[in-house]
Amino acid sequence: MELEEMKNVWQETSKATKKPDHLTNQFLEKMTAKKYNSKINKIGYSEYIGSVICFLAAIYLIINLNKIERPLMQIFAFVGMLLLFILPIISMLSLRNLKNINVSSKTYLEAIEDFGKRKINFLKFQKLNISLALFLLVIAVPVLSAIKGKDIDQTPNFWTLTFPITIAFFLIFALWVLRSYRRILNETAKMLSEINN
Amino acid sequence: MDKKSLFIKVIKENEGLIFKVANLYTNSLHDQEDLYQEIVFQLWKSFDSFNDRSKLSTWMYRVAMNTAIYTLKTAERKIKTISIDAETEHVANVSDNPEEHKVKALYERIKILNLLEKGIIMLYLEGKSHQEIGEIVGISTSNVGTKISRIKEKLKNYGTKK
Repeated sequence: MELEEMKNVWQETSKATKKPDHLTNQFLEKMTAKKYNSKINKIGYSEYIGSVICFLAAIYLIINLNKIERPLMQIFAFVGMLLLFILPIISMLSLRNLKNINVSSKTYLEAIEDFGKRKINFLKFQKLNISLALFLLVIAVPVLSAIKGKDIDQTPNFWTLTFPITIAFFLIFALWVLRSYRRILNETAKMLSEINN
Repeated sequence: MDKKSLFIKVIKENEGLIFKVANLYTNSLHDQEDLYQEIVFQLWKSFDSFNDRSKLSTWMYRVAMNTAIYTLKTAERKIKTISIDAETEHVANVSDNPEEHKVKALYERIKILNLLEKGIIMLYLEGKSHQEIGEIVGISTSNVGTKISRIKEKLKNYGTKK
């Protein structure tokens, strides 16, 4: 199909692409009455829920800090609290940066480049988040045991079986997510280089 | 005429344009509806900033296409490929009409283009001049010509490979 033929087909399809009048009317009424929520600048529920869980976990650690006696476990608990506060903040800030945009001020090319760059930054932040989360998992196990008053050294097969299996599962999951991020990062970078050629 | 009435009039007169952009950048009816609404909302939001110096359709295409970029399937975290398989499969399933097969072939070809080319080709198919395409996309008029030649070549190669 040549470009001119494509143009003819496009013009033909244009005649059929019309939204039913009543749907347009309904939506315009709803939107001008400010009952429509834009999706572009909205941070998803999953991000909010994730952040709340992290903050609750941090509060749990603060409340139970006095139950931890060993200095090493106390240090782990402090680091854990810090991560539980920092991780969601990093995530929310990077997501807000990805979404905080003004679509009308840019040309199409600028919009593609801007979105591509924002996406790359967001994915890099997410990679950092995953690495920190893995570290958090490692230190959370002995800290939680200390709060419960259990000596994990006395738990049968903990260091030889339970702990390595947990870490292995998380590593597999993290590697899978990171690989997927890397692929999308490469695709985005490739797309940005393509459009500038 | 108040702002709201004027805006509704503008949207009604140009809804085909919005619908086509929503159609081209999504792969399901649900996403298409969402994008349509988001575009109208972004147009409403920036309606005050629109001035007569900028041609109405240029402003509308710019807002519509930019909105499509920023609402690209973020859930899938993809940026490069916007599948229109669903659309083309739908066309293939509903009818054996040769015209609909032509539409399917048209979408298949647009699908192989990158985001910038996709925007340029849509404006070209809409019958926009090189100058208007340049204004909307943000590249020089001569660059529009070069890009269209490359797109032609790409589409030709796609035809031969197939």
